[in-house]
Amino acid sequence: MTKIIGKNELESWLSGIMKERTVFAPTRVDDLILFRPVQSADEIVFDYENTNLSPKELFFPKTETLFTAVPKDGDIELTPTTVDQEVILFGIRPCDARGIAILDGPFLDEPADSLWSQHREKTTMIGLSCTKPAPQCFCTSMGSAPNDASNVDIMLTQVEDGYAVETITEKGEKLLQGVELRESDVQPPVPTCDVNIPAEGIVEAITKMFDDPYWSRLADRCIHCNVCAYVCPTCYCFDIRDRTDKGKTERIRTWESCQSKGFTRIAGGYDPRADKGTRLRQRFCHKLLYFPQQFGALGCVGCGRCVIACPVNIDIREIISDVQKIGAEVGQGSN
Amino acid sequence: MSVDNGPLIIGFLCNWCSYAGADMAGTSRAAYPANIRIIRVPCSGRVDPLLIVKCFEEGADAVLVAGCHPGDCHYNEGNYYSRRRFALLRALLDFMGIEKERFQVEWVSASEGKRFAKIVTKFTEEMIERGSRKAS
Amino acid sequence: MGSDFTQQIRDKAKELLEKGTVECVIGYETGSDGFSARPAFIYEPAEVERLVFDNTCSHNLVKYLLNKKGKPTAVIVKGCDSRSLNLLLSEKQIDRDNIFIIGVVCPGVVEWGWNNRSDQLQIRCNWCRQHNPVIYDFLVGEPVTEGPPDDFADIAAMETKSTEEREAFWREQAEHCVRCYACRQACPGCYCIDCFVEQLDPEWVGIRIAPEENLMWNTIRAFHLAGRCISCNECERVCPVNIPLSLLNRRIEREVLGLFDYRAGMSEDAVAPLITFMKDEKLGIGE
Repeated sequence: MTKIIGKNELESWLSGIMKERTVFAPTRVDDLILFRPVQSADEIVFDYENTNLSPKELFFPKTETLFTAVPKDGDIELTPTTVDQEVILFGIRPCDARGIAILDGPFLDEPADSLWSQHREKTTMIGLSCTKPAPQCFCTSMGSAPNDASNVDIMLTQVEDGYAVETITEKGEKLLQGVELRESDVQPPVPTCDVNIPAEGIVEAITKMFDDPYWSRLADRCIHCNVCAYVCPTCYCFDIRDRTDKGKTERIRTWESCQSKGFTRIAGGYDPRADKGTRLRQRFCHKLLYFPQQFGALGCVGCGRCVIACPVNIDIREIISDVQKIGAEVGQGSN
Repeated sequence: MSVDNGPLIIGFLCNWCSYAGADMAGTSRAAYPANIRIIRVPCSGRVDPLLIVKCFEEGADAVLVAGCHPGDCHYNEGNYYSRRRFALLRALLDFMGIEKERFQVEWVSASEGKRFAKIVTKFTEEMIERGSRKAS
Repeated sequence: MGSDFTQQIRDKAKELLEKGTVECVIGYETGSDGFSARPAFIYEPAEVERLVFDNTCSHNLVKYLLNKKGKPTAVIVKGCDSRSLNLLLSEKQIDRDNIFIIGVVCPGVVEWGWNNRSDQLQIRCNWCRQHNPVIYDFLVGEPVTEGPPDDFADIAAMETKSTEEREAFWREQAEHCVRCYACRQACPGCYCIDCFVEQLDPEWVGIRIAPEENLMWNTIRAFHLAGRCISCNECERVCPVNIPLSLLNRRIEREVLGLFDYRAGMSEDAVAPLITFMKDEKLGIGE
């Protein structure tokens, strides 16, 4: 049996939650769709492909104060930032939820990042299955699926007269307490994502063609902005700097990207990744080689944001295919 | 960020004319409001638009740039360049929501102490009337 | 237009590469969605079949010439792009002798996103008065008559708002900004080795990706293009959060046109308005 919640019941349930906690949901901001706090269920966009920016900013904000320091009694008093706000993240897509889950790898690896783990703890995620994947999507090739419920607390899938509800975790169960769900024998549709990107064996292939001139040719086209990294649900590089204003110092962490010119520059001015080809290669090697080596999973979830946001159409799906092809050729040559 | 008694005005004064003019105001005991915080620069042509925008970002209510009268620049032509630059900057700032009245450029010579005091007094009064840029 | 232009470009590119006049031809090819154009770098005569030209060719390829210094290169320019070529020539950033310019009389480019087809012309084409390239070695297409002067209606509309409304508008835009610097990276006029925004001493713009800092960035980015912007509007096209940067650029452009009767990039020996002056001009400053 499937448990169903009607559209109206869903909205009144969400409205109830909004009175006590902050609910982030996909909402229209000018001509963008972004995860923003919503005050009423009317503001939520239910039938969206995906948000322009990924929901990683709820866990890893573009700017976050790590701690503040103020002089006190001849000493310095440090106050670490704490996350107090309980947050409901409504409408997250399975690919993005997977993105958050795989970022637990680097962030919760000992010593765990305190802010990331606090955000994780305070957030309950209500997932929304994709009914029709967008043309840029390729989540199934990256080990997920349009209705993959494994990384959320509650999963909703649209059916004819409401949403099929799957309760995944205790957190989800707690949130659903007292909500009346209808039993039905309607089977929720199983949406498919047909795009098939040959990701199998990518680690070996990219290792083999690491020094191929392919990367510098690709970098001809790249303009080295940070768009891909900033829309990506799994890019997590950051920069840290102190900011002092009227005697109060904050240590601030902000998004950064391996594509920006000064990212790897070190004291004395030397930059080990000074040329554009190696910078571009770094991005794809991090996703397709280093991340799997360190944490097991591929560092791409197939959300397709970079595919559509890249100003010059650097398409990771095309790159994966090219890497496989060149890797195979190089492999043959060495045998 | 307003000072306790009114608007905060940042003044960039050229070393050769306007700063000396402000000095002259002091020696001739021409009083003007203390809302202006003076920064001495070698020439009005040295005032990078970054400095102006930074002042507003950091919460200044108004900015005054003062330099030698056209034709009198110690470096012959610095103020001619700044005149063009600030004509454009003023238009852009106004378009972005910082009224053009909040950014003034004046030519003040070393002998115009009284005039300097008058300019600052008038500017401050105008800014009091307009109110603080940010309520913070 | 499309197929004929494409053929002429391919033939010329092939000739240039075969003769060894250039090492590389920078043009357009079909992107991964199967219809929209993206920049292409052609090094071999056999590869020229990749080149295309149609109304999705938005990118200003002149930016890439900055990476090809000292190497003989051919580049395909539309009318607006050709003005940025003049800009870089007048600023001595590129060497005319190393560049072969294939100018294309621009039919206008349409709005497109990845996998998103449309017949609507991009806003840049509404104000464009330069469909014919101003500088070229080889011209594709018949020159057209340009329309009447631009009336800057978009700027005028913005100016009907109150100062407070405008401040709120830009503050909201600044809240969306993620400081990815795509606007800078796409701009042919932005080529500083060390951009002010990344300088640490003095730290002009703080590290926070927050409205105050973002506003500072966007203000100065626009101002550094005062009298230099050629309105190709690539900055706005590449912005991932759709900030209407053209409003800022065009507000300055209108002022430059009004005060100095100057349009950037119209000739390769032009003198930009902010690096010159006239002694007796009245600009409403200090008067």
